Amino acid sequence: MTEHEMVEHGMTDGMTDEARQIREALRQSFPPVNTELRRDLWPAVLSKLDARPARVPWYDWALIGLSASVFLFFPQLILVFAYHL
Amino acid sequence: MDLFRRFALGEIDAFETLVRQFQGEVYAWIVRIVRDPGIAEDLTVETLWRIYRARHQFRPDGNFGAWARRIATNMALDYLRRKRPEQSLLTEPAGAPQPDQLLQRETREKIQQAFRRLPAKLQAAATLALVEEQPYDEIADALGTSVGAVKLRVFRAVRILRKQLNRLGVRP
Repeated sequence: MTEHEMVEHGMTDGMTDEARQIREALRQSFPPVNTELRRDLWPAVLSKLDARPARVPWYDWALIGLSASVFLFFPQLILVFAYHL
Repeated sequence: MDLFRRFALGEIDAFETLVRQFQGEVYAWIVRIVRDPGIAEDLTVETLWRIYRARHQFRPDGNFGAWARRIATNMALDYLRRKRPEQSLLTEPAGAPQPDQLLQRETREKIQQAFRRLPAKLQAAATLALVEEQPYDEIADALGTSVGAVKLRVFRAVRILRKQLNRLGVRP
């Protein structure tokens, strides 16, 4: 569907007759929902934060291992690395 | 230092203040899309957790509410994609239904089923625009797209629904 096709179908104000009919059908089919939050969610958020401590991803460990190996076999690179820090 | 900057730096007190300030708004947005208070509460907790995890991506001079709503929308869309279309959201009245009530219930169920078969993005756009009457610019911002794209999604949703309902013999 393109904007041009949409206008061709009379949807200039964002709503055709067809859309209005479907809208009414949907409103009758879906009961209204209460949008008020029933309880404070902070305790649940906090326990979720505690339950999932930030983990170091595996590729970070791999990078650390690789860097350590390089520095072990080529210690002169430590100076080059330090220079670029 | 302001609240948003402290949050971006990972201060838990600042995050708590933001949660208490925005949890109602996030929940209201999610429940409008998923239409189930229990599911919406779970998704709100997950959204707030993800917001904290993504704090480095937040620009302290940006709009926190809009950013939170975008993350909430993604959570709700993920839920709609996972959910089985057959799951009914009707709340039935107590007592034995009358014949015309049975017919109405059947029609409502068919409309709900047809709606739940729509792609998640079309469902979200159509629910927010047609049922909840949310402003198009807010929907577009939450879906990370343009107002024109939201209108097209609503238009496509209406078209598909019309075809499916015709096939099911339902005249809205």
